[in-house]
Amino acid sequence: MQKLLEVDKLASGYGRIQIVRDISFSLATGECLGLFGPNGHGKSTLLKAISGLLPCWSGSIRFAGQTISNASPRKIVEAGLILVPQGNQLFPEMTVGETLRLGAFANAARAEEASNLERAYSIFPRLKERDRQQVWSLSGGERQMVAIGVGLMGNPKLLILDEPTLGLAPRIKDELCDAIGAVSKHGVPLVVVEQDVEFLLGLVDRLILIDHGSAVREFSAANSIGHDEIMDMYFGDGKVA
Amino acid sequence: MTAETVLYILVSGVVLGSLYALMAVGLALVWTTLGIFNFAHGMFITLGAYFAWTVADGNGLGWGLAAGIAFSVAALAALGCLAEAVLVRPFLKRDNLVLVAVITTLAAATFLENATLLSRGGRSKQLAPLAEGNISMFGIGLSAHEAAIVVIAPLILYSVWLFLQRTRTGSALRAIAQNQEAALLAGIPVARLYALSFALAASLAGLVGIFLGGIKFMSPSMGTDPMVKALVVVIFGGIASISGPIRAAYVIGLLEAVCIYSIGIYWTQAALFVVMIAVLMIRPTGLFGGQRA
Ligand SMILES: Nc1ncnc2c1ncn2[C@@H]1O[C@H](COP(=O)(O)OP(=O)(O)O)[C@@H](O)[C@H]1O
Ligand SMILES: [Mg+2]
Repeated sequence: MQKLLEVDKLASGYGRIQIVRDISFSLATGECLGLFGPNGHGKSTLLKAISGLLPCWSGSIRFAGQTISNASPRKIVEAGLILVPQGNQLFPEMTVGETLRLGAFANAARAEEASNLERAYSIFPRLKERDRQQVWSLSGGERQMVAIGVGLMGNPKLLILDEPTLGLAPRIKDELCDAIGAVSKHGVPLVVVEQDVEFLLGLVDRLILIDHGSAVREFSAANSIGHDEIMDMYFGDGKVA
Repeated sequence: MTAETVLYILVSGVVLGSLYALMAVGLALVWTTLGIFNFAHGMFITLGAYFAWTVADGNGLGWGLAAGIAFSVAALAALGCLAEAVLVRPFLKRDNLVLVAVITTLAAATFLENATLLSRGGRSKQLAPLAEGNISMFGIGLSAHEAAIVVIAPLILYSVWLFLQRTRTGSALRAIAQNQEAALLAGIPVARLYALSFALAASLAGLVGIFLGGIKFMSPSMGTDPMVKALVVVIFGGIASISGPIRAAYVIGLLEAVCIYSIGIYWTQAALFVVMIAVLMIRPTGLFGGQRA
């Protein structure tokens, strides 16, 4: 099958400290992927390297037929790979509407700006209500909605969400999970990092466990996997059968 | 105090405030987008006057003031881009960028000041005023040049504000100032907008130089005092925004005019500093800064 994203033996980190160690995985066109694993093991770092915020030390990243390793974030966004980073504070002193429109700054997104705005509002009706409100005054959940909305405005060929429900109260978290499901139903391929593996199982086709900066295990979401097994992966040696 | 005196204080306050606002807005623009303080800003003011003089004055090319202003503003925009590329961009990734930029921009200021001195000489020059003659209104008189500044400066500031608030590029400039990583991830060309911010700041400084050149004699160091004033205005107004310094500039301009009238020019600077320090003790984020919770 045609690959949308191919990450091959990627290494990256901060300064001289290596975090991501030879991670390889790929994503077929139309597929959704989940990443999970203990805190501080390099999931966010991996995503920053893929989106051009951090340099690739070695290995390569190909996206939609072009090599994007060490390309600028702008080039990567233009290619259609959009990251919604963990805990995005966005632009505090801008209105929701203005922030969403900035999401369509890339040339590749301009033509679709109106229809993407429509799509974002239909998935997050609350954002339409709060169009003129400043981002700093939003609740954590609403801010996360704007962040995903900004990602959608970039007309993504692949949307990467880094812990979109982190720190949210249960009710708003459920609302957001439903909305992310709706994003996927709109036909936007997703890569999602989440602690809540059960949510991931219902959303994605395949899961990858990231541990100590490596992709240690990969399995299909279709093969039902038990709660105990997941707990084992978190707290065990990460290499359970 | 007669009504005329009040009016006179008001008008001279607005003249000062207009100049301070134009000086401060460029500094604030660079500060908010790049997070550095540009010590070459004063030299941009000086060069604005000298470029205009060279093209406009009979002892230079003699093409008239309009050509001088056009050339000066364009040249300053180019110089701003160059300054960003040479003084800032090579050091962007460094943790100590703020300190490195102090050194590089100070070095550039010294270099440019001496280059101006060498190429144009220390003899004082004067630029033609924007408009000749005097105007008298409501019983007070002021030069047509100053009247022009009072009218033109707010128009320029309003255009800058419109650009920042209403255009996609202006919106992106503010976005960079608020969250650089989020801006990068939205596909905003951050490096290019850094250059734009420098170019815009330099052009505005150039205009200040042209305005000052029609009031005072020009010298290679004529930009130093205005730059210090602009720095104070920016800190006083609240360094995190563009509108704070603009409003603060008019407050300080008016305050200065009141002080000059009431306690004399000799004590005015000291009085201004006392007021500013007092304000900053009560509002550490500046007079108009940090208004949101
Ligand atoms: N900006 C940074 N500079 C240096 N080290 C960092 C930085 N951000 C994260 N790290 C380190 O990188 C490691 C992986 O972090 P991260 O990728 O955020 O993990 P995860 O997303 O899996 O929770 C952690 O040890 C963290 O301390
Ligand atoms: Mg993370």
